[in-house]
Amino acid sequence: MDEEDKISDSENQTKPEKMFTLKRWNSVAMWSWDCSTDTCAICRVQVMDACLRCQAESKKDATNKDVTCVVCWGECNHSFHHCCISLWVKQSNRCPLCQQEWSIQRLSS
Amino acid sequence: MSLRPQKIEFDVVWGCLRQTVDKVLKLNRVERDDWNSSFTDVYTICVAFPEPLADRLYAETKLFLENHVKVQLEEFNCYRTENNDGENGQMMLHKYYSAWKNYSQGLEYLNYLYQYLNQQHIKKQKVSEAEILYGNGTTPLAISQEQMEIGELGLDIWRLFMIQNLGDILVKQILQGIERDRLENNLTSKDIETIHGVINSFVSVQDYKKKGSLHLYETLFEEKLLEASGSYFMSQASKLLQSCSVSQYMQEVIRVLDEENVRAHKFVHMNSVKKLKKECEDRMISDHKAFLYSECKEMVSNDKRDDLRNLYILLKPLQDGLKELIQILLEQIKNEGAESIMNLKGENVHIQFVENMLQVHQKYENLISETFKNDPLFLSALDKACASVINSKLSDGKTTCRSAELVAKYCDNLLKKSKSTESEIESKLSKSITIFKYIEDKDVYQKFYSRMLAKRLIHDQSINMELEEVMINKLKQACGYEFTNKLHRMYTDIGISVDLNNKFNQHLKNLNDELNINLSIKVLQAGAWPLGPQTNISFAVPQEFEQPIRKFESFYNSSFSGRKLTWLHHLCAGELKVSLAKKSYLITMQTYQMAMLLLFENCDSMSCKEVREMLQLSHDNFQKHLQSLIDSKILNLDTEKIEDASIISVNLEFSNKRTKFKITASLQKESPQQEVEQTITQVDEDRKLYLQAAIVRIMKSRKVLKHNALIQEILSQSKVCFAPSIPMIKKCIESLIDKQYIERTANSSDEYSYVA
Repeated sequence: MDEEDKISDSENQTKPEKMFTLKRWNSVAMWSWDCSTDTCAICRVQVMDACLRCQAESKKDATNKDVTCVVCWGECNHSFHHCCISLWVKQSNRCPLCQQEWSIQRLSS
Repeated sequence: MSLRPQKIEFDVVWGCLRQTVDKVLKLNRVERDDWNSSFTDVYTICVAFPEPLADRLYAETKLFLENHVKVQLEEFNCYRTENNDGENGQMMLHKYYSAWKNYSQGLEYLNYLYQYLNQQHIKKQKVSEAEILYGNGTTPLAISQEQMEIGELGLDIWRLFMIQNLGDILVKQILQGIERDRLENNLTSKDIETIHGVINSFVSVQDYKKKGSLHLYETLFEEKLLEASGSYFMSQASKLLQSCSVSQYMQEVIRVLDEENVRAHKFVHMNSVKKLKKECEDRMISDHKAFLYSECKEMVSNDKRDDLRNLYILLKPLQDGLKELIQILLEQIKNEGAESIMNLKGENVHIQFVENMLQVHQKYENLISETFKNDPLFLSALDKACASVINSKLSDGKTTCRSAELVAKYCDNLLKKSKSTESEIESKLSKSITIFKYIEDKDVYQKFYSRMLAKRLIHDQSINMELEEVMINKLKQACGYEFTNKLHRMYTDIGISVDLNNKFNQHLKNLNDELNINLSIKVLQAGAWPLGPQTNISFAVPQEFEQPIRKFESFYNSSFSGRKLTWLHHLCAGELKVSLAKKSYLITMQTYQMAMLLLFENCDSMSCKEVREMLQLSHDNFQKHLQSLIDSKILNLDTEKIEDASIISVNLEFSNKRTKFKITASLQKESPQQEVEQTITQVDEDRKLYLQAAIVRIMKSRKVLKHNALIQEILSQSKVCFAPSIPMIKKCIESLIDKQYIERTANSSDEYSYVA
C-alpha cells in the first residue's frame, strides 16, 4: 500500500496533476447477431439459440456440446439459421420473407 | 465254475445262500470265499435251467427278511405296553436306533450281494416312468405285485413291521427328548445323535421313492412336531410377556429363534427347518404384534437403535410386518424435519435450512443403514418424508415454498465467500444436491441459481471457476443437459472472455497502441444470461470510455462476423484514482459514478440538471448514483435534497484513512423481496410455455388422447423440472385449443385431437 502511494506520489510530481484518472475498467458487453428480427422465421426459435433441429440433436446426444448453429444473411438482409434456410432453399430459392431470389450475403462466426 | 445256465436244486443252493444272508444281516463276519460263492449262488439261481428261479429266490428272501424284522420287533414288545417315561423312553430310542443302524447297514451289503437279481431280473420288470405317465403296458398285476430291489424291499419291510407298529411310541419319545433339550438343555451328544438318527430313519426308509418320499416323515412325525412346538412357543411367549418389557421380550424371542434354528438343524430334516421357524414366528411374533408395536413410537423418537434393530429382525419375515414401523418412522422424520426448519430467522436462514435438513436426513439415513440394513422400503420412506417436508408450504401465510430459493442461496454462499477449503466446499455442494433432489420446483431453483451465478461471474465473485464447473456438472447429472444448458453457456462465456482479452491486448501491442487503463471486458452471449431487457437504459458514454469501446469493437468485428455488441454499463465497474490536496485514493465504483466524477475534472461545480443532461441518465439512475457519491462525501451538495437547481461540487477536503476503498451504490436495483417475486412470476411464465410445448409434443405423437391420459403424460414429462398444478395444465390446454393447436373431438367431451 505504502509503496503504491510512493509510486503515485512520484507520478504526481512528474505529470501535471489530474484530479480524476481512470485506472481500471471492468466492462460488460453482450453480443447478439446483427439481425433486424430476433427469431428465425423458419423455425420460430430465437436466432441466438440453436435452431430446433440442432437443439433436438444436442438433447439426444448430451455429450455433444453446443453444435455451432450459425446465422446466415441474404442479400435482402433477412437472416435465418443457416440450417433452416439451407433446407428451405432446396424447395424454393427465394427468401421466405420477401420472395426475392435468395443469395447468401454472409455467414456469422 | 461255469456261467452257463445249469439245472440246480433250489433248496440246496438257497440253503447255502441263506446262511450268508443271515450273517450279513446280523453284521457277522463273512469269509471271503463264502461271500464270493454267494454271489455265484444268486447268479445260478437267476439263470437256472430249464427255468430261472429268480421269482422263487425273491419270495424266499422276502420271507427271510420279514422273519428277521419280526424277531427284532419282538424285542420292543415290552415298550409297547408299558408306560415309557424318562430313562426308559431314552433306552427304547437308543435300542431302536442301533437296531435300525445295523439293519440298514446289513441291508446295504445284502443289496450288493443281490446285485444280479436287482439288475437283470427286477429292473426289467419295473415299469418305466414313461409308462407310468402314459398308462401303457401296465397290467393291474404288475403294479400290485411289483417286485422291488432287495434293498428297497428290506426298507419297505422295516417300515411295514417296525415303524407301523412302533412309530407313534417313537415319535412320542422323540418329542419328549426335544422338549427336554428345550427346557433343560441336558441331552448328551449320544442322545442327540440317536434322536436325529431315529428321525432320519423315517426319511431313509422311503428315500428310494421318486415321489412323496417325505410322506411318511411328514405325516408320522412333522405334524406332531409342529403341533408340540407351537404349544411350547405359545407357553414360552405368555411366560415372557408376564415378566418382560418389550425390549427384553424382543431379545428373548431372538434368542429363542436362534436356538430353534440350531436345534432344527441338529434334529430334523431340512424340509422342516423353515416350517419350524414359521411356527415360532407365528406364535411368538405375529400373535403379539400389538405388544411389540406398543412402544414403537418411543423407540423411534428416542432413537433406541438396539431395540429398533431387534424389532426389524422380528418383523421382517412377517408379511406386511414392517408397514406400521415404516409409517411411524416416516411420521417421525416428517415431524423432525419440519421442526428443524421451522421458525428460522436471521441472515443465515439458507444455511440453517440446508444444514438442519441435511442433519435430519443424515441421521435417518444412518439409522436405516445401521439398524434396518438399508432396506429399500425404509429408504423410500425417508425420501418420501424429506420430499414432503422440503416441499411443504410454509404455514405463516405465504403461499410459496422457499426451499428452492434457499438451497440456491446456500450454493451461492458457498461459491462466493466461504473460508473453507476447496474440498470442503465441494463436499458441501454435493450434499446440497441431496436436498436439491427432493425439491419439486427445480425450475425455481434453476432461475435463482442462474441469477446468482450471473452475479458471481460478472462481478468476479466466484472463489474458484473449477468449483463453478463442478457444481454445474453435478446439476447436470441430477437433471440432465437441458436443465444446465444455459448455466453452462454462461460459464463458457467467461472463459472465452478471458481469451478474448488476451487477444485484444496482443492486438493492441501489435499496433503499438496503448489504452492507459487496465481494461477487462466480459462478452456475454445474449439469451443465456438472466439479465432482463437492457434497451431502455440511456447513458451518454464519456469520452474516457469511448476510446476503449471503439477499439474493442473494431477488434471484435474483425474477429467475428455478423455480431453486434451492446454495452451493459450498469454492470460495469472500475477503479478511479482520485488525487486531492492531501492524498490520492484508489476508489472502486460503478461506471455511472465514474462518469459523474470525471465531469468535475475541468470544473469545480455544476448543477444537477447539467450533470444529468450531460450524461443523459434516467432520473432514478441519476439520483441513486449521485446520492452514493454524496454519502461517501466525495461530492458536496448545497441543498438537502437532490433537485435540478442544486449545485454539486467536489469535496476538496475529503479524507479517508484508507487509500483504497469501494463505493457501493446500492448495486441491486430492486430489493431482494421484489427480486424474489419477479423470479417467481418469471418461473410461472416459463412453466406455461413448457407445459404448452409438452402438450403439443405429446398430442403430435399421439394424435388423439383422453384428458386423463394426457394429464398423466404431462405430469410424468415435467417431473424432472417441477410439479405442475392441474388447473395450470387445464389452462394451457384451453389456450392451445384457442390457438387451434388441438381441438376437442366430436364424439367425446374429454378427448382431444391434434390439429396438423
